[in-house]
Amino acid sequence: MTINAVPDHVPPEMVRDFSLFTSPGMAPTPNGDPHAAVACVHAGPPIFYSPYNTRDGRGTWVITRAADQRRVLQDAETFSSHRSIFSSALGENWPMIPLELDPPAHGVFRSLLNPLLSPKRVVVLEPKVRERAITLILRIAASGTSCDVMKDFAFPFTVSIFLRLLGLPDHRLDTFVGWAKDLLHGDDVKRPAAARTIVAFIDELATKRRKEPVDDFMTFIVQAQVEGRRLTEEEVRGIGVLVFIAGLDTVAAAIGFGLAYLARNIKDQDLLRREPDRIVLAAEELLRAYPSVQIIRVATKDIDFEGAPIRKGDYVSCAAMIANRDPAEFECPNTVDLAREDNRHAAFGYGPHRCLGSHLARREIVIGLEEWLARIPAFRIQNATAPITSGGHLFGIENLILDWS
Amino acid sequence: MRIIVHKAKCQGHARCSAQAPDVFKLDDEGYILPGDIEVAEGGQLLASRGARSCPERALELDPTPAARVVPDAIEPRVWRA
Repeated sequence: MTINAVPDHVPPEMVRDFSLFTSPGMAPTPNGDPHAAVACVHAGPPIFYSPYNTRDGRGTWVITRAADQRRVLQDAETFSSHRSIFSSALGENWPMIPLELDPPAHGVFRSLLNPLLSPKRVVVLEPKVRERAITLILRIAASGTSCDVMKDFAFPFTVSIFLRLLGLPDHRLDTFVGWAKDLLHGDDVKRPAAARTIVAFIDELATKRRKEPVDDFMTFIVQAQVEGRRLTEEEVRGIGVLVFIAGLDTVAAAIGFGLAYLARNIKDQDLLRREPDRIVLAAEELLRAYPSVQIIRVATKDIDFEGAPIRKGDYVSCAAMIANRDPAEFECPNTVDLAREDNRHAAFGYGPHRCLGSHLARREIVIGLEEWLARIPAFRIQNATAPITSGGHLFGIENLILDWS
Repeated sequence: MRIIVHKAKCQGHARCSAQAPDVFKLDDEGYILPGDIEVAEGGQLLASRGARSCPERALELDPTPAARVVPDAIEPRVWRA
């Protein structure tokens, strides 16, 4: 593995000492604000080279402007998404589907899956989502005047919604969350072990559903046809693994960052509690201010981009948290304005790989905030506690102890 | 008022239809239906808000349809993006 290598074609003056892994505020930090910490790149050039910008220490180009990120992410021919992020942990190279397929193969699978998570479909799922939120919050309200929102609400809520979608039993929730934690945040031993466990689980589930179909996601996948044929085992696995890990961390983080903001900004909290109609718009602003994902593409050919000599094989980073703080795109980008309009943020990405689960994620976040604010009185971060936030490939918040005594 | 729909740029964010569901109709996958949209009097505020909400810039406001001479002749790409 090449560590800290700056390729020869990168002009030294385009290299910056910045990365989502190593810069100040990116390591786990009590009371941190990693999103604000990365906004500093907007004082610099629109594109630069970051020598350590992946988990395995590879360098990437960093695109800072929202307009340029849109250009990169809309151009799947030049900037490929095929990186085998998951299977490479196993020393293999099959794609997660549809994320790591490029057009035109991507479109075939995307069209297959889109109806399962379309805005229309989410309307059908909504009552169960709300019911789950209410059950969890009532339990929290009944058991005291403080809780760890991440452990007691955000994770159980988002993960159970998505387990139900997959047709998986709730009682295994902790097991699944454990696998996902090891995979997304574990070390070099835990990650491949978790990856292997998840693959074995998905393969077994697919086999089961082939034998005994039920009304769930995996049954749909094993019975589905693309281009007049059934899916291969590798394709079923690629879809299953993606859906499994995509639903585990991001929505919980969005709810955590959102409630942390409201805990620190009582006026905004009161306003949303008094006028819950504002929550839909407010959720968009919280998604803009606190997105989770850094998207990385691989150049498929040499291209000069805003003066940067991108060469075939180079990694190109489009971090939503950077685009969303672009002053050319958003007025006062570092101010959270819950009534912000025309909020075309990048939390779900741009281009053909726009987050497939975005409509469900949005509903979960809105419903989570609505039901929390309706049932929990004015809350603050508990004295002598500090939420630990971190940067990296997925920005996250580990704990959030709220107090409404 | 007319809204020019650049169908090939639509990636199914569905922000337009969240703002103005009666103006912006989506297919079963959640992507905008093809064809430019004539907005009726009275629907203009919501429609322009919807058009401005598109993260991909797939919707273009055309306040003076008469002045528009060249239609968008680019065929949508065959593959759904």
